[in-house]
Amino acid sequence: MQNAKDTFYTMLQGRLAILNPSRTRVLRGVVRPATLVDENELPTAWIPLDAFRLQWTRLQVTSASPLPLVEMECSIQYATDGSSGNGGMDRGRLLAAMDAELATALAAEPHTVAKMNYATAGAGVAPTAMGTNVFWADPVFGAASTVGERMERTATVQVFANQEAGEL
Amino acid sequence: MTQVASVAPVTRRVRAYFAPVNRSAGLPTLFDPAQLGRFPLDTPPAPWVDLGWVSGFTRKCVTKVDALRAGAPAATVGQVRSEIEATVALEFEVWGRLQATLASGSQQTNLLTTVTGAAPNGSGGVAAAPVPLLTGTGLASTATSLNVGTAAAAGFSVGSLVAVDVDYTGQLGYIGTGVSAAYVQSASAVGSDINYVRRVTLNVGVVAAIAAGTLQLASPLSAGVPAAGMQVSQLAGFCDREGASFFQEWSALFVMAGAQGDRILYHYPRLQAMQGSAEAAEALAVPLERVRLAAAFRALPVKDANDGESVLCFRSYLPAALRGI
Repeated sequence: MQNAKDTFYTMLQGRLAILNPSRTRVLRGVVRPATLVDENELPTAWIPLDAFRLQWTRLQVTSASPLPLVEMECSIQYATDGSSGNGGMDRGRLLAAMDAELATALAAEPHTVAKMNYATAGAGVAPTAMGTNVFWADPVFGAASTVGERMERTATVQVFANQEAGEL
Repeated sequence: MTQVASVAPVTRRVRAYFAPVNRSAGLPTLFDPAQLGRFPLDTPPAPWVDLGWVSGFTRKCVTKVDALRAGAPAATVGQVRSEIEATVALEFEVWGRLQATLASGSQQTNLLTTVTGAAPNGSGGVAAAPVPLLTGTGLASTATSLNVGTAAAAGFSVGSLVAVDVDYTGQLGYIGTGVSAAYVQSASAVGSDINYVRRVTLNVGVVAAIAAGTLQLASPLSAGVPAAGMQVSQLAGFCDREGASFFQEWSALFVMAGAQGDRILYHYPRLQAMQGSAEAAEALAVPLERVRLAAAFRALPVKDANDGESVLCFRSYLPAALRGI
């Protein structure tokens, strides 16, 4: 399951970075595309703005198949205060831009990606391709909410993968 | 990499493709999945034409299998197929000329621009004079550019819809270049209308640009480079008629792309509509509805060259790489 989670995250991060290369964050001193997985980062009360934050929530495994089908819910949260240059009055536009980027990234063909094992990957070491694909349904966008000057939204997408023999 | 177990295909949607049937010769277009089954979905091999995604794709086998009984008391000693039949129902996601024609199941007419003062008619009144394609002057016309000359080009504008085909000069039988669009029983039935072939043809396009007397089309004409004698008529849209007599027939290919890289292909060499024009309305939010073209087809048989079997549909499965079979 971890391979499927890593693969989906890497796919989404890559597609979003292509759509908007300027959407970056400095995380632990490194400039990265502004797509991150909450559980992979240091716990903090601070919410990164203008970034996509992935959380893995629901999980279901259907074993009535030679390769059990894993269905995971990925919750993608994003928020913006608008830009200071515009006094925050562009926060609706910036949220709409993030809506469009996320929708476009997930709607782009193909709707599948080869599952990779990143456990052994590192500097100069590529991840290992596995034998099946990760695939996903269309995202469901929740209602936008406003907290003070902040606008935020959560989208959920069902991510599927087949659990391969020996895979944990 | 090692082989992994096979699993049931998972697919998002169905893509449909069209190819013409030579009605005069009774020859469908055959698709060979052994040679072409892995084609990129956005670029089907010629002469297949992309119809886009379809929804509600439903195949039904109506073949009857009867028991052969013998003895007393009777017991089943064998089985026989007493009747073979198959149907397909679907909804097109696109209202294109081709999709609308197939869904209507009969001849669909182009609503040709009329002459001034034409008497009202349900499928369009008397058409305006067509515009000839020039030869020997300027560039030759192609499947994507129509040389009509500077003067005539002034009568078109970007976005104009055009039908390109030969004049009607008394032809009988199937008419329409590229695709048999209608059947003419007698010249008198169509009033010997010089525009009748252009009225029904599926060889249509959209003008995307106009320059130096040439109409640039947004996409190639389905019949390719215009033949000598073809003319151009403008049209406002399309019209089909409940109660029309012609049965449209086409060769169909439906593709389900599996999430694991596998692929299911359904090839119906001969499909004919089994219902009149219909729509399926999907409620979006009050009062909005999305209207899709709803179609239902009955399959007609062909002979499989490998063994002479009479076949309505070929279903092919192409497994993903390194899967158990």
